Amino acid sequence: MKLINKFILIYLVVTVIVLGIAGYISFFVIKGELDNELKWRFMDRIDRVTYLLDEGKNFKSKKLKGSGDRNLIIQQLPQKVAPETVIKDTMVWHDRLQQMEPNLKVSAYRTVEDTSYFISTYGALVETDDITEAVVQILLWILGLQVIGAIGVGFIVSGRLFKPFRETLARIKRFNIQDKEPILARETNVEEFNDLNRFVEEMTRKAVKDYKNLKEFAENASHELQTPLSITKGKLELLTETDLTPEQYQYVEASQRSIKKLSRLSESLALLTKIENHEFTNKDEVNVTNLIRESTQAFEEFIKLNGLQVETDLEEDVFLQIHPVLADIMWTNLFQNAIKHNIEDGRIRIRLTKDSLEISNTGKPLDMDTDLLFKRFKKADHGVDSIGLGLSIIEQIVDQNNYAISYDYEDGWHTINVKFHPESV
Amino acid sequence: MKLLIIEDNEDLLQNIRTYLKREGYICEFARDYREAFDKVMSYTYDVVLIDIMIPGGSGLQVLRELKSVNPQTGTIIISAKNALDDKVEGLELGADDYITKPFQLPELHARIKAVNRRNQRDGREIINVNEIAINTDTMEVTVNGTGVDLTPKEYDLILYFASNKNHVLSKQTIAEHLWGDYVDHLTNLDFVYQHIKNLRKKLEKAGAQNYIESVYGIGYKFKVNNRA
Repeated sequence: MKLINKFILIYLVVTVIVLGIAGYISFFVIKGELDNELKWRFMDRIDRVTYLLDEGKNFKSKKLKGSGDRNLIIQQLPQKVAPETVIKDTMVWHDRLQQMEPNLKVSAYRTVEDTSYFISTYGALVETDDITEAVVQILLWILGLQVIGAIGVGFIVSGRLFKPFRETLARIKRFNIQDKEPILARETNVEEFNDLNRFVEEMTRKAVKDYKNLKEFAENASHELQTPLSITKGKLELLTETDLTPEQYQYVEASQRSIKKLSRLSESLALLTKIENHEFTNKDEVNVTNLIRESTQAFEEFIKLNGLQVETDLEEDVFLQIHPVLADIMWTNLFQNAIKHNIEDGRIRIRLTKDSLEISNTGKPLDMDTDLLFKRFKKADHGVDSIGLGLSIIEQIVDQNNYAISYDYEDGWHTINVKFHPESV
Repeated sequence: MKLLIIEDNEDLLQNIRTYLKREGYICEFARDYREAFDKVMSYTYDVVLIDIMIPGGSGLQVLRELKSVNPQTGTIIISAKNALDDKVEGLELGADDYITKPFQLPELHARIKAVNRRNQRDGREIINVNEIAINTDTMEVTVNGTGVDLTPKEYDLILYFASNKNHVLSKQTIAEHLWGDYVDHLTNLDFVYQHIKNLRKKLEKAGAQNYIESVYGIGYKFKVNNRA
């Protein structure tokens, strides 16, 4: 829900509540006023009758009826009574409507020239239903106008007032850390937006700086590690040129292997960092069919040496939009994995279609949670001399190209499936 | 053969020099850009090893200068960066080969020899080891004039041995030379033995001496007494 819609909605809900309360109050105020008005009118009538009596006018009930004022009762009382006024609500039968109607009745005792009279008059009150109806009608009109006003103001607000905000938002969306350009704040006349823009600028500046540092670190770390490793390796090689006993030599060999592993580790970490830093974003058309075909040929001897059998089912000319280096790394890692974690006389099955690449290999079941498989340094096969970064690298590449990867184990087959268009499947 | 090693790291320089001096090479060295530039401009070398990251400038710049005055000099770039960009740029500038740290000294040596052969082109494409002749141009091996039918891997192997005569070469080193990084995926290196056995058999059948000596528990040595 858009902010402005939410704002209008809240405004309208508040308006409805306020109007409801206002209606309730209005009802009583109007009713009170009307009742008072009626009361005053009756009081005035009684005063007028009293005045007319005082003037000596003789009210006969017949004459009264003739005047049409049916609701006026004047009775001469036999004895003197102290003046008094009684006002009360009463129900009176209405002939025409054939129902009881609420009426206001004002009765008074008045003494004119030593004669006491009972004067009483009554009349229909304005019905509460009518007041309610009127109030509701007025309120509905007000509400209608409020809705129109709110929506109108909403459009103006979202159109004009929020323009700088939307601009900032668009710029954040376009922001690419690889461009190494922070989002510069633009002055607006709204303090909050200025704050936001300044904050965004500061944040992107920091992100760009950190990114640069990280990138430099990844490059330097690789370089700085390789040189001492080279030295050690060379020294060990020179050591093997001297007279060593087979036992001593084995120690040297073991050291060599560790150095090799260390070197590969730092290379892989540097590669992973580079992929994470989005250094390989230039996409190119890559013929995956050819890539797989060529690499299986390159690996042929290894496959034979490892006593493996490879079955391929490749669709011709499968093209992907991907950085060629990434395509190569992804495939090589997948394939090497299948070779590495295989069993003796095992098999590898490769199936490539336009939508997915599936590579299966025979192997022992994993003794770990498959969710952890793509995590760094999680190794299922501890016996193998691997560094545990291969699948993480694959996952990074898959993520970056919006592919989907899944792993499955069934009947002694490990299957890794990469879907190239996961959203359309 | 006269070599120039451009490398700022003293230890690494010592390693390379120690190994190559045994081969009877004249090794000169430069530790920074200025020194490298002066030497490249003043003298001629058969092969120049260039580290990309050197104090005072870039090894690629040295390579550029060198190619402008002495285009026929063999050049090998040594880099810690496995970065593809450097590799491509280096090779585009005319470097003959590219080796990534950490490298093996026998491997470096084999490459120096290969680069030198490629650049000399004065009949030196034939390497002679007594009765064995290796033609690096046609990739043919003959023993006393009779051709020996070798697989590409066996050819690589004899060339590698011939380039590192009288050095102990471990199975690991040999495997890495022949298969590069793919070796990481092999749990045992017995296949090296297989290849050596086949090569030995073929050479002996053609009438050559057995130069490939097993060094127990270590690897192999191509033992040649009189240097050819």
